[in-house]
Amino acid sequence: MTAVADAVGRGVLPGRVWFYANYHCNLTCTYCLTESGPRAARRELGAERMLGLAAEARALGFTALGVTGGEPFLLPYLPELLGELAAVLPVVCLSNATMFTPARLDRLGRLAGLPVQVQISLDRPEPDANDAMRGPENFRKVVEAVPRLVERGIGVRIATTVGSIDDSERERLCALHRRLGVPDDDHVVRPIVRRGRAVDHDLGVEVGPADLPAELTITTDGAFWSPFGPTVHGGRLDTDLLLTRTTSPLNIPARVLLRLVEGRPQGADTQLNIR
Amino acid sequence: MAGVDLIEAAQAPLLARRYYAHGDPGPIVAALAHVPEVLEVALPFIGTVLGPSAIGARAKELVILRTSALLECRYCVQAHTVVARDAGLSRAEVRALRGAGAGWVAVFPDPSERALLAWVDAVALGPGPVPAAARAALRAEYADPEVVELTLLVGATVMLNRFCTTLELPTSPQVLARLAEEDLL
Repeated sequence: MTAVADAVGRGVLPGRVWFYANYHCNLTCTYCLTESGPRAARRELGAERMLGLAAEARALGFTALGVTGGEPFLLPYLPELLGELAAVLPVVCLSNATMFTPARLDRLGRLAGLPVQVQISLDRPEPDANDAMRGPENFRKVVEAVPRLVERGIGVRIATTVGSIDDSERERLCALHRRLGVPDDDHVVRPIVRRGRAVDHDLGVEVGPADLPAELTITTDGAFWSPFGPTVHGGRLDTDLLLTRTTSPLNIPARVLLRLVEGRPQGADTQLNIR
Repeated sequence: MAGVDLIEAAQAPLLARRYYAHGDPGPIVAALAHVPEVLEVALPFIGTVLGPSAIGARAKELVILRTSALLECRYCVQAHTVVARDAGLSRAEVRALRGAGAGWVAVFPDPSERALLAWVDAVALGPGPVPAAARAALRAEYADPEVVELTLLVGATVMLNRFCTTLELPTSPQVLARLAEEDLL
């Protein structure tokens, strides 16, 4: 058994490895960690590199993959890549769900039955409140896209990122995602993290490594403690959660992460429910 | 202004944080912090080779300051002028080490220090093999473990000289003030 597999088995190390597929996005959300937007530098990791890292991750003993950005579906090769990644390890891909044209949905349909989930951002149960943070028409596009994915057999998770949400609004949101075909187990509510563009909008909670799951996260800039690590503010990459610049062999950042998490009390990162 | 951004405490990567625990770690650490996995092996290496060891502080500073002067590293010469003075070198000795040519011969009468400085001049200025006479003179004064350590010290200092010069690392205001006070700027 590898050291990673042992640590994952003991619950000391999360099993998922994240890839920042890109940094550009068609939206400009007010709380975006990475200041992503249409004019952001792409900084693509590349399909070949992600596949190579996925194979390394499995060999090391990691158990799952995540793909995030930016908006990963801006990458034309993404649907096929998700299928190839899923042949290595189960994968979840984060998306704003605004890119699901009929043609792309057809390509995604080939992922039915594979261990692929698309995690879609939906923050509020009504369009105005949701779109104020995420941009015009976002709510409508999400509400249209989710059932189409579900009916094609694609696993969908809903991620709600909010400063605060009252019980009534939360219940309306849960009623909505259930109506769209997403069960409660696939809905996560987490706080806005005060990094990236959220700092400029005075949003979110301050976090450090103690608050964040130690999920190994690979970007073009290096390996980070968590997918909440490689944030950008004022156009500059934050390095406070940088592990190593070396990303392959993946064993190098994995070994550093293991060193840092050993001895960390289990559950220490769960207080803020940042997932 | 350095030739690269120097990482400040708030942006210190996880492996680099301990070097910032007691305040400004200096520009070498703040530059190396860009690549944490290199920092965490480079710093112990530098500390071991340049820091306290079986070789006395005075001999080590002779090597470091002379090498830095030969390589014309402004940052290292300024920083190690202060360290050399603290290690007991006189202002005349410091000036001689910082001077061009072999002017130091007149200032360092001790045979072991002369052999050492001739060795430094031969190794640091390279390239190619060092003259047999310099090797023989050094081995007459120093045991093999000392020869190894002193030679590595020259090499590590050359590496740091080129690193600090190329990245235009800034000398701290405290060092500059001390040099001005001692008329050694």
